[in-house]
Amino acid sequence: MLMQVEHFDDFTLASSWERFISEIEAVCRQWMADGPKNLLEKGAVRLEFSKNLYKVKSELKYASKSYCMEYYFEIPHNESKGSVWNFSLHEMQLCFGVKEFLVIAPQSASGVVLDAPEASKLLSAVAIALSNCSSLLPVVVPVHDPSRKAYIGIQNMGTVFTRRFEADHMGTQVPVQLMHLEGLYELFISKFAYSTLDLSVHLFKVHFTMKLTYRTLPYDEDDDVQGTDTEPTESEGNPGDDTHNKAQWDDDCPWSEWYSAEDPIKGFELIAIWSEKMVESSLQMAELENDSPREADKWIIFPQLSQNLSDASNGNQVGFASQMHLLIDALDMSFEAQFMEDFVSAVENPGPDNLKASRVIPPPSVVDRVLKELFREGMRDPNFAKGEHKNSRVVKGAPLESLFAQFCLHSLWFGNCNIRAIAALWIEFVREVRWCWEESQPLPKMPANGSIDLSTCLINQKLQMLAVCIERKRELNEDFEDCIGSMDQASPRVKEDDPVGEESDSSIMWTPGEDFDRKCDSPMTPENLHGSGMTVSRFNNEPEDVGLADLKASDCIRRGSAGVVGSMMLLKSNQRMHTPLTQDAPLMTEDMHEERLQAVEAFGNSFANISSEFTGLTEEASSVILLQNFSAQLERDILSSDMSAFKAANPDAVFEDFIRWHSPKDWEDDDAQENKSSEKLPIVDSDHGWPPQGQLSQRMSEHGNIWRNIWNDAPALPASEQKPLLDPNREGEKVLHYLETLRPHQLLEQMVCTAFRASADTLNQTSHGSLGQMAIKIGQIYVTMASVLKPLQVDRLSAGSEIIEDLRRLCVVLEHVEKLLTVAASLHRKFLQAPRLSEAIFSDYYNFNLPRMGTGSLGESTEMTFNKKQQVRIHERPVVSNMFTHPTANQSWRKVLSMGNLLNGHEPIFREIIFSIRDRVSGNHYAAYPSRVYQEEIETYRMYICGTSNDLRVALSVVSCD
Amino acid sequence: MDSSSNQPEFDYLFKLLMIGDSGVGKSSLLLSFTSETFEDLSPTIGVDFKVKYVNVGGKKLKLAIWDTAGQERFRTLTSSYYRGAQGIIMVYDVTRRDTFTNLSQVWAKEIDLYSTNQDCIKMLVGNKLDKESNRAVTKKEGINFARDYGCLFIECSAKTRVNVQQCFEELVLKILDTPSLLAEGSKGMKTNIFKERPPQTDASTSSCC
Ligand SMILES: Nc1nc2c(ncn2[C@@H]2O[C@H](COP(=O)(O)OP(=O)(O)OP(=O)(O)O)[C@@H](O)[C@H]2O)c(=O)[nH]1
Ligand SMILES: [Mg+2]
Repeated sequence: MLMQVEHFDDFTLASSWERFISEIEAVCRQWMADGPKNLLEKGAVRLEFSKNLYKVKSELKYASKSYCMEYYFEIPHNESKGSVWNFSLHEMQLCFGVKEFLVIAPQSASGVVLDAPEASKLLSAVAIALSNCSSLLPVVVPVHDPSRKAYIGIQNMGTVFTRRFEADHMGTQVPVQLMHLEGLYELFISKFAYSTLDLSVHLFKVHFTMKLTYRTLPYDEDDDVQGTDTEPTESEGNPGDDTHNKAQWDDDCPWSEWYSAEDPIKGFELIAIWSEKMVESSLQMAELENDSPREADKWIIFPQLSQNLSDASNGNQVGFASQMHLLIDALDMSFEAQFMEDFVSAVENPGPDNLKASRVIPPPSVVDRVLKELFREGMRDPNFAKGEHKNSRVVKGAPLESLFAQFCLHSLWFGNCNIRAIAALWIEFVREVRWCWEESQPLPKMPANGSIDLSTCLINQKLQMLAVCIERKRELNEDFEDCIGSMDQASPRVKEDDPVGEESDSSIMWTPGEDFDRKCDSPMTPENLHGSGMTVSRFNNEPEDVGLADLKASDCIRRGSAGVVGSMMLLKSNQRMHTPLTQDAPLMTEDMHEERLQAVEAFGNSFANISSEFTGLTEEASSVILLQNFSAQLERDILSSDMSAFKAANPDAVFEDFIRWHSPKDWEDDDAQENKSSEKLPIVDSDHGWPPQGQLSQRMSEHGNIWRNIWNDAPALPASEQKPLLDPNREGEKVLHYLETLRPHQLLEQMVCTAFRASADTLNQTSHGSLGQMAIKIGQIYVTMASVLKPLQVDRLSAGSEIIEDLRRLCVVLEHVEKLLTVAASLHRKFLQAPRLSEAIFSDYYNFNLPRMGTGSLGESTEMTFNKKQQVRIHERPVVSNMFTHPTANQSWRKVLSMGNLLNGHEPIFREIIFSIRDRVSGNHYAAYPSRVYQEEIETYRMYICGTSNDLRVALSVVSCD
Repeated sequence: MDSSSNQPEFDYLFKLLMIGDSGVGKSSLLLSFTSETFEDLSPTIGVDFKVKYVNVGGKKLKLAIWDTAGQERFRTLTSSYYRGAQGIIMVYDVTRRDTFTNLSQVWAKEIDLYSTNQDCIKMLVGNKLDKESNRAVTKKEGINFARDYGCLFIECSAKTRVNVQQCFEELVLKILDTPSLLAEGSKGMKTNIFKERPPQTDASTSSCC
């Protein structure tokens, strides 16, 4: 029939037609000659969804129309499975059961649509060309408009057989019988059984296989109003408490304290596959339709992810990352003013209205609420280890549960984190801190003991210092209140000791003033010793064991002893050595350390300059002395304080005694030799070995030894009467001065560091089962943060600098991790009973996202959608099945079920079926072997059917003998 | 004074730190290195600081060497000296075993706690090599410790000045070999991680869970 059309062509057309055919032929010959390997090298492209299907194309012209011919071919790939339901099949492969094929179609750009006769004509042209080069490739041509997905096609299968393809689509009004398996079966049978034949008598061996796709109801169908379009932070310091009374999916996720995230997993699609079986009657088909998907041979699942996950424009996504973006904006603006107050008062100034609107300060009631949460709630000791990752400390911020970190997190959500809102909150925050200081109230969420953690940001160090100062001040006040009428309040007194031992002789030993002290003192415990800035030295004290020696009260009065030092005796007096109570080494924040270092360095430098001019030894030596005089002043003070305390506790001690206690290594005992020769030395008191024999080390006994000089200058004074090494009043006031005069950009820099760390620490608490990749990713983000934030500590930042850009990129990195984590958390809670599945799906998602993560590049969007599927194991099926909750009355009312194979009352959203009939045919085209007739089983009829509850598509391939 | 005109030019500034028990000879080592003398010094109170200009590998270097006190009493204050050091010299006394064991029990921990520089080069130094007859720590033990802890190792004597120059020179050469330290040492250079490859999983971060 097609040939006839050709015969009617006139001569000129015929020649162009022939030219067209030979053109096609040439292209095909070239492709065949090249073979897959060469084609790959020549730039064949792989189809996105497939691992092994490639295509090349060529443009052709015929009668002023241009056509595009594409050759699809496979490269063997170890992952490609032979299954008919392989997910990476091309539509044509699925429809017609072919492997490689040609498609010829009008250039889509030309907008030409083929009607049926034209399509046939085109098809025959290719068919002729292919047979000319004796190719057995199938070729298909689209018919009608593309949305209809109708095709015709042909394949020369050798000399005798030809396979024809045909596919079409029914968009509406699918006859009821074609909604059911029985009807579809009969449709297939009708293609080869003559109507005269009685179907019920004749048995056809029809092969059948089916794939059904189910979709869970969206998790948040009823509350989709809330999700994306609520303004999260308009005036609320803390969203998610009063506005949302409905339980959110992430209520128990660590971030829910600050915001509610959209569930990134909208639902799941489940694919149930019935593998091939033989069907012999319509009745059997009807029964199959009653099958539950539980009877399917294979279950495959994949998640449907929220659109926002892949959306690069992060405008509608609320989370730590989005707020961090705003905080960076605030940092960028912080260079505008000298003090935080300037931002608040700037309200008077006329400015662009839009700027004003975005810089609203929330009403006082909100401020009050935030302050209350910061200062009044959770007075309990915070658990600073909570949420802390082992990498947390590399980010120079405050610990998550600390006062400043909580301030930063509140700021993120306060008035949408604009600079004015931050300024207003900060001023109130500092005011509140000052109140604590003035009233000697403990600073909440701050430890008042221990040393200052230099790995945290300066503000946190300062607050730690303040907390300690307040604590010391409180102790002083308590002492004061406990002992009304004390005449001795001026000196920063410390609790005097004498636990047990000296009870009897204390009345002689104590001065009247101190006698009073003792009465008001509480029993000594290690803590209050520590808290009051006193420490019992490292030596092992045995307070009970006060030897006889002490009863020989010396002229001087022993004060500030913490007990005796083992059985050590003084050198020049037959008394036990007492350990003095000493002052704690003063606490220092990093700027104080820095100051000290600079002093030392400046001096060292100036000396280096001198010495580079005069390289004499004398200068070198004098430098040591000078250094000791200036830069190590603090350590000298400590040493001097220790010596004074030692003198007070051991009134008869000499320098050597001090060294024996303080730096035992610089005292060389003669014990070793003495043991052998002790009998020869009758002077020695045999009981106590007194006086001890030995001498100072060489370096301690040198002339002009600094230690001795300090000793000589140190007065005998118990620690309690010394000038304190740390003056709480002065240091506390200095902290407040720092907080009150802090430059805006310095505040914002530290807020940025702390907020990043606190965000990561919060996210880190998310339970996601044991997803290894997630754990690694979180570990990495700390390291990334640390390296991006580092310049904030050293460089003088300026507005709009390159660092600001880096910080914005860091927000994007954080956003990736945050999104990844919500996916992990969501999967985890959905698959609590099937952890393997959540791990497998997460792993797929992670690998899918991997190329885009960690780079921090902005505005990158990929067309790719996540569609990796996971097979469900038998024991996991109940978990997946339970996700398909029975539809509520309301939901089932909306829908009339028309297909079978229900899963918990849900019908499939998509059904695919393949019917086929196979026959052994003699391959007599193998002319070389005429004697042995080659037998081959081929699909003589094959029908692929796919459809939903209101459309149907049928593709048929039929082999015939021409 | 930091802008004084007669300050010599230099290519890199490195901060080195000396730690170890009291009396192992840190100050003596430093004196031996900077002024080529040996004399008895008072135990360091707090910290001592010296600058030395050297030419190593064709580069002019300014070494700022911090000599800390081994005395326990000053230890809380020494933590800040670790910050930003490119090289840390851990000294023990080959005639006193406790000074060696304290390196792993006390000093290595301090480094982990306070050092801000992950790549910082560490060097183990056994001092007082001249008192060979009193030796209490073998060279083999020193080598083993250095290998386990991943640091350089040398034995020297501040008194006879054996290996003193080599000690500092080896350390500095190693620093010169480490790009990240070099970048810190030369002022004004910055590294931008976004312009380099994305951060790789390092051993410490990937080992968890
Ligand atoms: N024989 C010998 N003695 C040494 C050597 N180095 C140092 N000394 C001596 O060991 C003692 C301690 O030396 P220092 O340099 O003060 O020790 P340090 O490590 O600085 O001690 P601190 O400042 O307390 O931490 C001094 O008496 C030195 O003379 C050496 O190489 N050989
Ligand atoms: Mg010293």
